[in-house]
Amino acid sequence: MTGTDRPKVGIFGLTGCAGDQLQILNCEDEFLRLAEAVEIVDWVMAKSDNDSNCRLDIAFVEGVVATERDLETLKTVRARSTVLVAIGTCAVWGGLPAMRNDISREVLEREVFGEDLDFLDTVEARPATQFVPFELRLPGCPIERNEFLQTVRSLLAGTVPELPAAPVCWECKTRENLCRVIYHQEVCCGAMTRAGCGARCPSHGVACSGCRGPVEEPNYDANITMFADRGISWKEISARMRSFSAPVWMTHGLEREVDHE
Amino acid sequence: MSSARTITIQHLGRVEGHGGIFVKVVGDTVHEVNMDIHEGSRYYEALLVGKHFLDVQGIITRVCAICSANHTVAALTALEKALGISESERVHRLRGLLLLGAAVESHALHVFALALPDYLGFDSVMAMAADYPEEVTFALRLKQLGNRVQELVGGRPVHPINTLVGGFGKLPSHRALEALRAELEKALDPLMRFVDLAAGIEVPRWAAQPTLYMALRPITEGYRFRGESICTSRGEEFPAETYRDVVREFTVEHSHAKHAALASGDTYMVGALARLKLWSERLEGRAREAFERLFPEGVVDNILLNNWAQLVEIVHSLERGMELCDELLAMPEAEREMAEYEVRAGRGVGAVEVPRGTLFHEYEIDGEGLVVSANVITPTAQNLANAERDLRCAVENLLVEKPGGDEVELRLSLEMVARAYDPCISCSVHVVREDP
Repeated sequence: MTGTDRPKVGIFGLTGCAGDQLQILNCEDEFLRLAEAVEIVDWVMAKSDNDSNCRLDIAFVEGVVATERDLETLKTVRARSTVLVAIGTCAVWGGLPAMRNDISREVLEREVFGEDLDFLDTVEARPATQFVPFELRLPGCPIERNEFLQTVRSLLAGTVPELPAAPVCWECKTRENLCRVIYHQEVCCGAMTRAGCGARCPSHGVACSGCRGPVEEPNYDANITMFADRGISWKEISARMRSFSAPVWMTHGLEREVDHE
Repeated sequence: MSSARTITIQHLGRVEGHGGIFVKVVGDTVHEVNMDIHEGSRYYEALLVGKHFLDVQGIITRVCAICSANHTVAALTALEKALGISESERVHRLRGLLLLGAAVESHALHVFALALPDYLGFDSVMAMAADYPEEVTFALRLKQLGNRVQELVGGRPVHPINTLVGGFGKLPSHRALEALRAELEKALDPLMRFVDLAAGIEVPRWAAQPTLYMALRPITEGYRFRGESICTSRGEEFPAETYRDVVREFTVEHSHAKHAALASGDTYMVGALARLKLWSERLEGRAREAFERLFPEGVVDNILLNNWAQLVEIVHSLERGMELCDELLAMPEAEREMAEYEVRAGRGVGAVEVPRGTLFHEYEIDGEGLVVSANVITPTAQNLANAERDLRCAVENLLVEKPGGDEVELRLSLEMVARAYDPCISCSVHVVREDP
């Protein structure tokens, strides 16, 4: 098990739930073959003897930047890596930690910790992709195992993985689910959200909460109007949509509508 | 002559999240032992305020991936108490099954991939695979089985989506339950061989010291992960609703996670070892066999034995999982199960035994169903103060046993202590809330 010609891989977590790294460990059937095809040289979650300086052919980064330390880690990893892949909605879009960036960190700190806590090193949670360039972005909360494996296989073969560009609605229709908006009057984000999950939530009778982040060119206005036309209040629409991709979605004037209501 | 010496482990490997260890020794005296938690903040509880109760589970489950099913059950239990919903027999069993799946997955990952490499002399499970291919393959299969349970009940292995206030979006078919039962049964024999392997490993005693343990009293007579009252190993018992009076939290400067102690000021341990300490006499079948094999003198104080306690709980989880499958199969097959309820203002506490110990969730909602306040206390936050106490004990003992000993060995020993707690740092950070 030497083979120094194997691509060197690093896997890193910034602030987050470690769910995307766990999904890599969850590829149990492929895990050992994967560990043979590449050389995992730096992965704190799974190894104790890590090389934290060497060049990396591929690096995966999960999480948001929420501390100065996160930002340092991210910049160092970028400088070491040839191909940098953002894994998970936090890294790509900000995810839930960025949901309430309209509230100052001071207020949140007081809320959670009480007064007089100047030792906390926290900054507003922002997606990793906002700070350094990434070659690839895998959304999902958490990432889909098959998309991760497909990405690794493509990179090993020297190509770029082709990830779905259609919205979740497309997958939902192929599964013949009844529409959560039309038949249940729910705020379902499937039409605005990137496919790849197999429309898992609507297939379990649950509305899409947009955990995979937006598709390219989503038609927010038409969607939001569709929810409102079904009698759903702006307040509810806003509360449901202010979640996984809040920093991107909320720039579309929805909050102003809530104020008018 | 007293020279100061510091040992710093910047980034603790093979744990979930970002933490380190800092030790300062002057002469022969240990001056400082800190478990530094430098994971960033996400303020989940503050983020929940103003959200509808139906959205709570999908948000709070994301505190931590490995523990996502556990946060889910704790949150739903608390919310249903607030709303006055009682679990149906089927929902209760399915949630129980979900917790067992989470335990198998989490314990298998920790025991085999995170902890065992230390005892067999490897830096990772990947390195271990070369010498122990069959064992590693089985460990991965076991972890996968835990995930399969979570996928069947929760809709996916990480961050469940099928778990709703009042019930489930889609119920597993009888066919799927039968297949699952068969797989659980098939894993038992090979798992017992692991118990034999573990029983042959000598566990060091340099971190052993008298310890106070805490766990929920199981709701029924068996060995169970849900309960309504909190018990300690010195005989105290408190209703779960009063957890804020029992678990006293405080902040420390070197940690982004709060620490905890009992009102008496004593630190305590929660987790598999604590559960065995309090309730091992309730174990049955092969789990009892595994317990007797790994704990021939009963539970003795030594945090490193938490790894073997988790192994016993994997055996229990497989057996209990089979029982639950049988009980669910005895019910008529159905598509969906959802309780009828009306939205009302209320407050509820949900306490659950999860792989790392006792987890508390509490929510207050208003008449419209919006969250007024939320509070989560995780096992790892409760264990941190006790972990520092054990680390100090380990340093003191090792300095006496091996004066001038190898620094590398000392560092590894400290890492083994920290890892034995199976700390989940994502969970521990900033998910505790100061009540106004």
